[in-house]
Amino acid sequence: MKKIQSRFGEIEYDPASTLNFPEGLIGFEDLRDFVVMPNEKDGPLFWIQSVDDPQAAFILTSPTDFFYDYKVIPDGRERQKLGIGEQDDCFIISVVTVSPEHTITMNLAAPVLFAPKTNRALQVILEGTQFSPRTPLPEVAPVQK
Amino acid sequence: MLVLTRKAGEGIIIGDDVKITIIEVKGGGIRIGIDAPRDMKVHRQEVYDKIKQENQEATQWDMADLSALSNMMSSGRKQS
Repeated sequence: MKKIQSRFGEIEYDPASTLNFPEGLIGFEDLRDFVVMPNEKDGPLFWIQSVDDPQAAFILTSPTDFFYDYKVIPDGRERQKLGIGEQDDCFIISVVTVSPEHTITMNLAAPVLFAPKTNRALQVILEGTQFSPRTPLPEVAPVQK
Repeated sequence: MLVLTRKAGEGIIIGDDVKITIIEVKGGGIRIGIDAPRDMKVHRQEVYDKIKQENQEATQWDMADLSALSNMMSSGRKQS
């Protein structure tokens, strides 16, 4: 086990099980390895912490829980980077942004492709998509008591 | 920066395998054709910059945000 400092305190992690971004994230190309942190609460959210930069942490979620018609199929280049074949699983993940006004958006214009087989991930830019990098979360109805 | 003047139909070769062709110049816009290897990413500058900025902003959160967000999402889910 190794330890890193983060904005949220010390994190202990297994270097063998980090999530690898062979190209980094866009604008963070040098940060390749992230620790996947489970959310303390139930739900579809989790977060990742860079092992190299204590400041770099992202909230992620599965966009298909909210947008049923949202589909991204990796192309040949992307599959090669992920180290997977056409038959292997590839999940779509979205980066979540919390604005200073606490509005919450998902970046559907640049999803993260995740290959569980190789534990690799790739952020891709969808060219000519109608999906916004600032897609608001669909309204959720208040809980009925 | 290298600056070149090109006309419609003319092109530029970059390295061994990138070829850029000026397709059409019309109404203040220029249509450009790009032949590049499949493993080379090609993006419009403003699209790339926007994603970069969005990623920067996405690092600006704290645990209270995550907690509030989780509560909001799980309350939405119990409806279905």
